[in-house]
Amino acid sequence: MDEEPERAKRWEGGYERTWEILKEDESGSLKATVENILFKAKRKRVFEPHGQVRLGMMRHLYVVVDTSRTMEDQDLKPNRLTSTLKLLEYFVEEYFDQNPISQMGIITTKNKRAEKLTDLAGNPKKHIADLKKAKDTTCVGEPSLYNSLSLAMQTLRHMPGHASREVLVIFSSLTTCDPANIYELIKSLKALKIRVSVIGLSAEVRVCTVLTRETGGTYHVILDESHYKELLQYHVKPHPASSSSECSLIRMGFPQHTIASTCDQDSKPSFSMAHLDSSGSGPSLTLGGYYCPQCRAKYTELPVECKVCGLTLVSAPHLARSFHHLFPLDPFTETPLQDYQGEKFCQGCQGELKDQNVYMCTSCQSVFCVECDLFIHESLHCCPSCIHSQPNPPGI
Amino acid sequence: CRLNIDGLLVYFPYDYIYPEQYSYMLELKRTLDAKGHGALEMPSGTGKTVSLLSLIVAYQRAFPLEVTKLIYCSRTVPEIEKVVEELRRLIDFYEKETGERSSFLALALSSRKNLCVHPEVSSLRFGKEVDGKCHSLTASYIRAQRHSDSSVQTCRFYEEFDALGRQVPLPAGIYNLDDLKSFGRRRGWCPYYLARYSILHANVVVYSYHYLLDPKIADLVSKELAKKSVVVFDEAHNIDNVCIDSMSVNITRRTLDRTQSNIETLQNTIQRIKDTDASRLQEEYRRLVEGLKEANVARETDVYLSNPVLPDEILQEAVPGSIRSAEHFVGFLKRLLEYLKSRLRVQHVVQESPPQFLKDAFEKVCIDRKPLRFCAERLRSLLRTLEIADIADFSAVTLISNFATLVSTYSKGFTIIIEPFEDRTPSIANPILHFSCMDSSIAIKPVFERFQTVIITSGTLSPLDIYPKILDFRPVTMASFTMTLARACLCPLIVGRGNDQVAISSKFETREDIAVIRNYGNLLLEMSSVVPDGIVAFFTSYQYMENIVASWYEQGILENIQRNKLIFIETQDAAETSMALEKYQEACENGRGAILLSVARGKVSEGIDFVHHFGRAVIMFGVPYVYTQSRLLKARLEYLRDQFQIRENDFLTFDAMRHAAQCVGRVIRGKTDYGLMIFADKRYARADKRGKLPRWIQEHITDSSLNLTIDETVQLSKHFLRDMAQPFKEDQLGLSLLTLDQLQSEEMLKKIAQIAHQI
Repeated sequence: MDEEPERAKRWEGGYERTWEILKEDESGSLKATVENILFKAKRKRVFEPHGQVRLGMMRHLYVVVDTSRTMEDQDLKPNRLTSTLKLLEYFVEEYFDQNPISQMGIITTKNKRAEKLTDLAGNPKKHIADLKKAKDTTCVGEPSLYNSLSLAMQTLRHMPGHASREVLVIFSSLTTCDPANIYELIKSLKALKIRVSVIGLSAEVRVCTVLTRETGGTYHVILDESHYKELLQYHVKPHPASSSSECSLIRMGFPQHTIASTCDQDSKPSFSMAHLDSSGSGPSLTLGGYYCPQCRAKYTELPVECKVCGLTLVSAPHLARSFHHLFPLDPFTETPLQDYQGEKFCQGCQGELKDQNVYMCTSCQSVFCVECDLFIHESLHCCPSCIHSQPNPPGI
Repeated sequence: CRLNIDGLLVYFPYDYIYPEQYSYMLELKRTLDAKGHGALEMPSGTGKTVSLLSLIVAYQRAFPLEVTKLIYCSRTVPEIEKVVEELRRLIDFYEKETGERSSFLALALSSRKNLCVHPEVSSLRFGKEVDGKCHSLTASYIRAQRHSDSSVQTCRFYEEFDALGRQVPLPAGIYNLDDLKSFGRRRGWCPYYLARYSILHANVVVYSYHYLLDPKIADLVSKELAKKSVVVFDEAHNIDNVCIDSMSVNITRRTLDRTQSNIETLQNTIQRIKDTDASRLQEEYRRLVEGLKEANVARETDVYLSNPVLPDEILQEAVPGSIRSAEHFVGFLKRLLEYLKSRLRVQHVVQESPPQFLKDAFEKVCIDRKPLRFCAERLRSLLRTLEIADIADFSAVTLISNFATLVSTYSKGFTIIIEPFEDRTPSIANPILHFSCMDSSIAIKPVFERFQTVIITSGTLSPLDIYPKILDFRPVTMASFTMTLARACLCPLIVGRGNDQVAISSKFETREDIAVIRNYGNLLLEMSSVVPDGIVAFFTSYQYMENIVASWYEQGILENIQRNKLIFIETQDAAETSMALEKYQEACENGRGAILLSVARGKVSEGIDFVHHFGRAVIMFGVPYVYTQSRLLKARLEYLRDQFQIRENDFLTFDAMRHAAQCVGRVIRGKTDYGLMIFADKRYARADKRGKLPRWIQEHITDSSLNLTIDETVQLSKHFLRDMAQPFKEDQLGLSLLTLDQLQSEEMLKKIAQIAHQI
């Protein structure tokens, strides 16, 4: 059989054929276009400031992970499951980093049923540990969208009205095996104001389109692994709260971390309340910890909801970190390097500005390189030179 | 918005316009200006209907003397309704823009079954029953009888209409079938007869092909339509077959048996009338002596659309003496019937031309050509005279008499084939006489001759140049339009080999090959695991589908496919198929996913649209050639070769490819839709096949999508589906969707000029 050379081989199929967008410049060099592609990839993250809208900051999110037969497909390396779990670990960390007063749980679905991998909780450690364990699960049968959603719904429906109830489905299969009409379920999800978003790993499935459209979520399908990561990243930020969600004042406790010194006669090692029910794992007897200001129950980690009196326990920095979502840093203006007059040094890293574009803060006119721009917007959430110019930063 | 199409002000009821619509209207305007005929191909889902309507309506308003009427022919009732809705939108827009109530009258016309409001009659299930029952209530002599005998049933709706309906024209407006019915109920007038009467002065008439092409119906309904009309045949890719079917006659033993009883009834009735009311027959006889003068006068003054079943010559002559009296005519029919019966008693296949048939008839039973010709007319006259109420019962004898007239009128373009049994079941005697029309231009000729502009249009009309040949007309414009797209939403792939490098093809030598069948199975299996929701697969014939599915079952492929999707199968039973279709759509809707196995040229391939998730992929297994061993086809091919210089192979390929295009075209029903088109046969890669696909599909076939293996197909499909699943930003504006300003830019006009591809 005579093969035509331009046809993609099987092993090439999965890759983007980037050479198709490459173009030589006048001197015949490819460097410019290659740089351009790399550069665009860096800047890809679109800044979509919501403006002044109410955000659902106290998030209760269930992540539903499809572990059906299709997860063994090898179009993501090494396979869909491993890749997904790895990305999810990263997602869990990011999620709790950006949303400290939120909670998350994980549900897996295979073989036409759904089961909880982790309960709704505010602690990333347990989720990550369980995700790591899940790597060895065998992927069999078909997923059930209905069962997983109703499992998530059972818990989420009891969440308070001011909290946002969300489900994120990682859906690899193209089919779902449901015990009942899923459109009925979608109606009740809508009534309970549970927002369902879907990330599809293979193609657009009608029922997911309807599901997300009805419940106000988003539906994306991945192109490749980096796009997958980006889509997950999109779900890290809190979404605007629906206007109909309740407003209420929440009682919160800010426990101090007390370390009982060994010389203190009264100090006794005690159990953390959080560890009581999760039998076995972790050091259960500790000396110090956070004590609930209302009932004196002890916890080793924050944030947490007090098991005894139901008070939400957080620390001040947690709240502060959630705060920046409400007042996002304005995107910097992009100007080509040759148009920019002034010192060609980045205010952030003090390196020389070499890329095509420089980024300028709209309030203090400082310039930054691409890397610093990304770092500032993704992690710092405030412009370092603005802070620097103000001796007393606005109180948090 | 208001458009300026080549100097004509056109109101277009949408804010945005597709570039191809503009281009389409330009071509249409040119055709109307030239008062000629045209053939235009534009992909479905690009607003063909609204472009047609808005241009022609604008033309009517600008030049009311040039174009008086638009006759829009579509194929099915839902399509007719859609056209009316578009038109309603357009006229509403006119009223809003001009601020005056328009005096525009447009209406849809359909059969009695769809329009009847009589409580008893409309509850009947079959069209034929409704027609028959209606006739028995509204025939003139029935109504005359009622004057003397009030126990005779009549239809009060018809009575009301007859008394009042003709004086007051139908008020201006747009009427679909339901509007007509509710109007009819309100006034107590029969909607069917009202519509039939109103089409004479309506500005736009929307009805089915048959009202114009089928000589029996056209004679009743469309005879008096004005010459200065524009006729549009939408979805016209199969128009030649419609023409042929409307002129062909099939006679089986059953037909003859029913004719026999018909004739007996006729004889008894004649006898009875003779005893009671001999003057009636006398009167008829006198009329027949005078001949068909009236019809002749009408034709000469060009008042009527001519009827191909009623040839010119017979109008000038009186009905021949041998069949003038009713008894003689019945005797004549009996003789004809006996002759046909004897012809059906054959042991081998006979094929002969009409002259041969006539000669044989003359020799065997002394039936002359001349009385045969008058047969249809004579029978109609007799039925009228005998005042037979339920005309539906006489369909058999009417068929025979039509056959007699046709066979004696046309010596060319027809063939007679008598087969003693079906090819598939040679042991069961089932003789059938096909009187087959081979020349599609015969039925459509009066239409082309009578109306100043006839437009033939469809989503798949490629290759365009063959239609003028087989329909025998000279178009002034022939153009094919492509779809401008903001994203490449269709993905045609030609699969030529399995993963084992065995070529896959449905050609006769390899169709039983186990490797080919297995590869077809693998293709479907692989596709079922990457394509979401619905897949429609087309086979070349029911028989081939049965064979393949059976061996898939044995090989266990079917079981594997069912792990991914449910499987539904189209059968020859209409009820079963519509059930399967319903369940198929349900499965697509709730995320289970489904595959519909169907057959090219079947019901699914012609009339059902698979929008969005109902069809994300179409797989065409093999090239849907017609069954080439059929004698009818062979005769037609021979005729086409001799008369129109169309080579057999060209016609066969053309026919196969238009059906393939029809099938795959089912998935793309608009610009936001997307779908895979998989041609699973090596032969599609050849230029002679590929070149016959519509241009809007062809331009998406690149060299890298030819002769793929199954694996490559799966990879490309995955890639395509992921791309298409990305949010579709509404950035088609300016590219494939234009505002008025954008349309007027110099650059865009240049681009638009490229969309139309003149032939």
